[in-house]
Amino acid sequence: MTVMSSDGPVRSKGGSVMSERQRMILGRLLSYLTLGIAVLLILFPVYWMVITSLKLPREIYRVPSLWPKAFTLDNYYTLLFDKNFLHPIFNSLIVATTVTVISVIFSAFAAYSMVRFRYRFKGVIGRLILFAYLTPGSLLFIPLSILMAQLGLSNSLQGLILVDLAFSVPLATWLLQGYFRGVPRELEEQGLIDGLSRMGALFRIVLPLSAPGIAAVSIFVFTGAWNELLFALVLVTSESQRTAPLALNYLITSDVLPWGPLMAGAVVSSLPLMILYFVAQRFMVQGLTAGSVKG
Amino acid sequence: MTDTPVFRRRRQWLTDSRRTHLFAYALVVPVLLLIIGLVAYPFGFAIWVSFTDRVIGSVGNFVGLANFEYLSRSATFGAAVSNTIFLVVVTGVLKLGIGLGLALLVNQQLPGRGLFRSFLMLPWAMPAFVAFLTWRVLYQPVGGGLNLVLTQTGIYPHVIDWLGQRPTAMPSVILASVWRGFPFWFISILAALQSIPKELYEAARVDGANAWQRFWMVTAPGIRQVVLVTALLSSIWTANAFEHVWLLTQGGPSDATMVFPVLAYFGMQTQRIGEAAAVSVSMMPVLLVLLIAVTAVMQRDDER
Repeated sequence: MTVMSSDGPVRSKGGSVMSERQRMILGRLLSYLTLGIAVLLILFPVYWMVITSLKLPREIYRVPSLWPKAFTLDNYYTLLFDKNFLHPIFNSLIVATTVTVISVIFSAFAAYSMVRFRYRFKGVIGRLILFAYLTPGSLLFIPLSILMAQLGLSNSLQGLILVDLAFSVPLATWLLQGYFRGVPRELEEQGLIDGLSRMGALFRIVLPLSAPGIAAVSIFVFTGAWNELLFALVLVTSESQRTAPLALNYLITSDVLPWGPLMAGAVVSSLPLMILYFVAQRFMVQGLTAGSVKG
Repeated sequence: MTDTPVFRRRRQWLTDSRRTHLFAYALVVPVLLLIIGLVAYPFGFAIWVSFTDRVIGSVGNFVGLANFEYLSRSATFGAAVSNTIFLVVVTGVLKLGIGLGLALLVNQQLPGRGLFRSFLMLPWAMPAFVAFLTWRVLYQPVGGGLNLVLTQTGIYPHVIDWLGQRPTAMPSVILASVWRGFPFWFISILAALQSIPKELYEAARVDGANAWQRFWMVTAPGIRQVVLVTALLSSIWTANAFEHVWLLTQGGPSDATMVFPVLAYFGMQTQRIGEAAAVSVSMMPVLLVLLIAVTAVMQRDDER
């Protein structure tokens, strides 16, 4: 009830000042109305994606309708069997999972070191991590594609995994630093006194206590790798190595008006992530505000 | 000579503090190497390539500023510069306005606000490529939902090819980008609002400040820092975003929505790598200013 509720005395028709209660009710009504419209505008594209994926071609192109007369799973069938979409989904799962595991492990070590110890060049390293996190892929995709060609890794999932680490490792390190800072130093010192090694303190105390943070970072990194299109577009040339976004990208450029299967692909490739986000929403919001994550 | 002295010396060298130091460095080195190899080196390499006439299959020669000279005479490059700036500024202002407005609404003690918050975050949870492919379908003259809603409700009777003509292409890209991008602003500002102590509002109220004054005296200072960081981050990401324009218009029609990253990608496709690198390098100066600004602000936050 900070800003929107009472805008000074609001006068009703008779010229008398509205009561506090009337103003509050009016304020609430206006708030709900605005929020309701915002939610509708947000949901309509999502609705259109789902409904288009369930329509027959006739109702997409010739007699378009807001609510289809007949529902069909044909588009999903076309996508999964004719277009073999499960293969790119599988590739995406491999890439995103590998990238997540590698970056979270290495970044956890680095972030722990940055937060707990004092040493020379720490300031420089910290700045380098933040700089790397903010350096956009659009600047790096040309040199990285040359580099991958030199390493003989173009057109391979290994190359794509390596290239994705360019954004995921700085991101994960930056975010994990924020989470580890929240673990009280005393708990760790107590552990060291009780005979744990430094490594033991990291694994037995710091990591378990930052579990929500690690979960959030894992989801962010996984999402980033799952969504990555530009690197995949320049690195991957053969159909067998395509990821989900790449396969859908080529679906628009190859077919004439493939809206049904395209939207089926959109639903299939967003469903797992959307469920993940709704389940873990609380962690996500904390993570977002802790370190600012690419939107 | 026995080897005892050597052993003793080694033990002295590896003191506890040295051991801790080595441990600390060992933990950070893998990430450091990855960053140097995958970010710092490519960053420098891109600058070098932009000064060469490299093409696919040939390393090319140093040509000085020739690529940049060529770009400065190219109309497409000019379009990319102005479109990128326009896109960043307009989407930034819209996302700030919408994000702030909705955050203020949800920050009230409304029943059901948690539900609204979840819904308002939905576009952010959607993968970017899914969001922009969906908008591409929405904008279609045939099979698109936007035209259907406009004609069926009678708001506008004619079908519009939103992405296919110059006057509507850029606004369409902006609308889709704002739809996908505002939740990040919304949630950041909401978190900042929730961290403003309630007592400040009470105090302002007691002092007789009206709602407008309370906004400028309490709310605005409380969220200024977050808005600044969000604006800087969002500018960097929007200027360098590829998916929105690529999946909606590929820069068309006739460069109406051409932006830096898409132009650089086209340069790659035509195999003239030197020129393509020059495209992305020419946005580096502005990017560096933004990077340094945001690094300063975020590290200040961080060490607080």
